[in-house]
Amino acid sequence: MSVRRKGPRATAVRVLTYTILVAVAAIVVFPFVVAVATSTKNSQDIFNYPPTLIPREAQTVPAADVGLEGDSIPLYAFADTDAEFALVDNNVSVAEFRPLDDLERVIRLDVSSGERTGETVTIDGEEEDVFLIEVDGAQLEVYRSRLTSGGLFVDVADPSDARVDLVNLVEPLEQFGPRLENFREVVVEKDLGRSLTNTILVTIIVVAGQIITSIFGGYAFARIDFKGRDRLFLLYLGSVMVPFVVLIIPLFQLMLQFGWLDNLAALIIPFTFTAYGTFLMRQFFVAIPKEIEEAALLDNASRSTILWKIMVPLARPAIATLSTFGFLYAWNSFFWPLVIINSGNPDGRVLSLTLSTLGGRGSADLNLVFAGAVIAMTPPILVFLFAQRYFVENSASSGLK
Amino acid sequence: MSVVSFSSVSKQYKGDGPLAVDALDLTIEDGEFMVLVGPSGCGKSTALRMIAGLEEITGGELRIGERVVNDVPPGDRDIAMVFQNYALYPHMTVRANIGFALEVAKVPKAEIKSRTEDAAEMLGLTEYLDRLPKALSGGQRQRVAMGRAIVRSPQVFLMDEPLSNLDAKLRVQMRSEIIHIQKRLGTTMVYVTHDQIEAMTMGHRVAVMRKGLLQQVAAPQDLYHRPANLFVAAFIGSPAMNLVTAAVGGSAERPTVTFAEHTLAIDHGAIERYPKLPDRIGSTVILGLRPEHFVMEGDADLPDDQKLTLNVDLAEAMGAEVHIHAHLDVPPVELDGAPVAAEEGEEELSTSTTNIIARVEGIHTVREDEDVRLAVKTHLAHFFDPATGDPLR
Repeated sequence: MSVRRKGPRATAVRVLTYTILVAVAAIVVFPFVVAVATSTKNSQDIFNYPPTLIPREAQTVPAADVGLEGDSIPLYAFADTDAEFALVDNNVSVAEFRPLDDLERVIRLDVSSGERTGETVTIDGEEEDVFLIEVDGAQLEVYRSRLTSGGLFVDVADPSDARVDLVNLVEPLEQFGPRLENFREVVVEKDLGRSLTNTILVTIIVVAGQIITSIFGGYAFARIDFKGRDRLFLLYLGSVMVPFVVLIIPLFQLMLQFGWLDNLAALIIPFTFTAYGTFLMRQFFVAIPKEIEEAALLDNASRSTILWKIMVPLARPAIATLSTFGFLYAWNSFFWPLVIINSGNPDGRVLSLTLSTLGGRGSADLNLVFAGAVIAMTPPILVFLFAQRYFVENSASSGLK
Repeated sequence: MSVVSFSSVSKQYKGDGPLAVDALDLTIEDGEFMVLVGPSGCGKSTALRMIAGLEEITGGELRIGERVVNDVPPGDRDIAMVFQNYALYPHMTVRANIGFALEVAKVPKAEIKSRTEDAAEMLGLTEYLDRLPKALSGGQRQRVAMGRAIVRSPQVFLMDEPLSNLDAKLRVQMRSEIIHIQKRLGTTMVYVTHDQIEAMTMGHRVAVMRKGLLQQVAAPQDLYHRPANLFVAAFIGSPAMNLVTAAVGGSAERPTVTFAEHTLAIDHGAIERYPKLPDRIGSTVILGLRPEHFVMEGDADLPDDQKLTLNVDLAEAMGAEVHIHAHLDVPPVELDGAPVAAEEGEEELSTSTTNIIARVEGIHTVREDEDVRLAVKTHLAHFFDPATGDPLR
């Protein structure tokens, strides 16, 4: 237990410490937040500027509300009023009028509005017809500076108020709107589902295999006397020092011999045996007091009873640690699958491979890439949260003394 | 219930190492409470573990009942053992711990339950049956370890220093409980301890071991009053026997012993027990006097030539008695080149003086640095050969 110091100096130190910690935590967490936020945005929202952390979507009204058929209609707001306008037609012809007494002002109206007076004016050396239009109940002499296409906006509450304007000049109304279909879409349409199944399968078998082989190996190295045991263990442990890149070519050739190219077996079988896991389990078994085992021997328990009923339950923290490491390794492994699952047949792909192609193939769907990334990183986070209590808990010695 | 017998049983850990147990011949009778005692490294635990089958036997023959068990695996020997650290299964409840052996033996569930509960009741563990060992106190864990042994009704109980992790008060209590349980079940018990009080109070017989060799097997009182050699004399008893090299003089009728500046006449009673003593007149012997062989002058009617004056280094008033510590300006008695340690772990600091402890009636007031005049019950004294350590019998 730490002693808490008191006094203004200590408080200042603590405030500073926490500030730094919070800042670092925020920096570390930020990419995750961005990933999660982006994964729930729709394809328009991801390109909005300035970008937001909160996913947004356009506000809409049902088409029937404004007397139309079909899908929902997006809403817009004009600066001069609080009313909500529905974009009922986004391809109407729009005329831009400029009053003769204020050439900087632009008035956009439907192309059919305005009456020619028959007079003409000369603007910048061009002869233009003069129109008479009505704005806010007043007659205004204008000329038509441009014809373009724009949107027809109708006040939802008062359908008689219809306006014409360029769609990109009007403020669209937005609301909080996470798009959860991204996940379904990336799983179904981008084929992440198959990769996910493959990864889950590979991970479960690898982790289960590692646990079983490590328990057997660790127990043998810890408690069974046989000739050359310690030397063999050193050799075994030494193999941990060999970097994986060195093994890639021989392992690839071996897989080729076995006919396991493009086969999930190549991702599973070589990784069910782990020197690190064996070492971990051995260290744990060695630390369990010998008397517990001797007591079981005197109780006429067989080796396998001792292993499964006494040693393994006691080794739960070590097994949890081993499973977590094994899980993370198998789940995140990228390089070996990239080498061995190489035919382009997506059925053999694992998550990490599919994710890497997702970014290249459809980089316009950044929201889908992020949705895939979130799917990929959720299980490891959950596993870690679940397993972390085992890292601190150690029950092996509590039954003694 | 069975006889356990060692005949010339030896144990050598390494092929060329010393013998941890050297040709042990010992028979533990059916229903007997046998205590193996000795300083650490004497081979007592090894002997016990050989009975359990946890150590291989290098030579000789070990029998449990009629069966030679040298090569019988531990589980088939029908014995139960209580370990020093209890070795409870930490992940199992008390109930599962006690019932584990029965479960392994595929005893029907209902019988496991009733036998477990009977054992728990005998040990007062009923209310703790569903707890894990870590939720129990040291004494309760000790009982669970006992329960695990009792529930199997084995032929032999083995106990390896079962009380050494308990505090003093609990140790006394568990001591009498173990005696009680053994008496009630009548099962052969082999009990290893380095604590000679446990050895003296618990065993029907006590086997004293040293450096792999059996020194003496006898009832506790015999061990105390008729030690088979210098080592047993020094090891058994607390405070330990005072030992000093003394020159023998006087006559065969009334010999004297002289050590440091003191001379004591030896009462004829001692010669009856040590008839070879008069043969040593003119040479030296090792004189052994237990602390209670000293009395304050006046407390006993002893002749003047059986008295001596000692300067008190330290007086420990224990209430009923006073322990007077003094020293003699002679080198301590050695056994195999090292001073005879009074008790295990206690180191004889001085190599030029011999400590001496006298135990007198508590009614006396003794002060440090004063001289006291003590009478010695020399008829109870012990005498050993300085060269061999054998008693002069």
